[in-house]
Amino acid sequence: MEQNKEMTAQESLKLITETMNSSRKEIVRHSGKYFVLWGILLTVFSVLIYILWKTTGKAAWNNLWFALPAVGFPLARWSKSKEHPVHVENFISRINGGVWGTFGLFACSVALFTVLFGVFSDSPLASLVMGASLTAMIVLLFGMAETISGIALKNWAIKIAGWLTGIGGMAIYYITGANEEQLLIFTFAGIVLAATGLIIKYQYK
Amino acid sequence: MFPKLDPLLHSELRLAVMSILAGVDEADFSYLKKQTGATSGNLSVQIDKLTTAGYITVEKGFKGKMPCTTCKMTPAGREAFDSYVTALKEYLATGA
Repeated sequence: MEQNKEMTAQESLKLITETMNSSRKEIVRHSGKYFVLWGILLTVFSVLIYILWKTTGKAAWNNLWFALPAVGFPLARWSKSKEHPVHVENFISRINGGVWGTFGLFACSVALFTVLFGVFSDSPLASLVMGASLTAMIVLLFGMAETISGIALKNWAIKIAGWLTGIGGMAIYYITGANEEQLLIFTFAGIVLAATGLIIKYQYK
Repeated sequence: MFPKLDPLLHSELRLAVMSILAGVDEADFSYLKKQTGATSGNLSVQIDKLTTAGYITVEKGFKGKMPCTTCKMTPAGREAFDSYVTALKEYLATGA
């Protein structure tokens, strides 16, 4: 690119449009990396907890879910620190980060609340009901977060993945019932999330 | 009478830098270099000119052990960029 090149008005506007589009695409493509990272983690954790629950018969293995953000956030931070050049942020990427951060906060809070309710409540039935509906709540929140991400990033693949996860996850929940099989919902959600990330990276290559 | 095009922005590389900065919060030197495909020397000179004009601010720091130069558009820069785009559209609308 030359600094002294004489440009016509059309060339100038074309340059502005192309540069801004390229920057927007770069931001969307970059978000794909985090979709893949969290998708893989979600899949691995759900399969691991499913196997442990199935083989031991203890639902308490679900507490391992609290290790997911403990592993995921440092990994995401480490990955960001290794970026060169440093990735840019704009309003859209901040919205995207905010949506997923809020999802994480709500999911962890509601899960913690359910665990504490189970410990301190006298009614085992009430805690069972709360525990069973926890999966449905989280999968719906997850689907919503992904759909909002798709709207913010103006990407149909993410929007469709969000609907699939939220609505599909609820369908699996009603089919499997409140047992270890319901963890397959999160395996499904993780695979959809990672696949979405790969689609984004491929689309905006 | 058409508004005069800002000569500082009517340059390919400087306009590209301003277009990138118009769409992001801030960008580091390596990112601008990658996006524009310019050489480091050329990009440095143009960034200096934009800084002197008050269109962008440059902050030098470190990311880990690596030096990091971060550029950000100022309100004056945004105003100049918006005026430039408006002027371009007027030229095009009248076929000038």
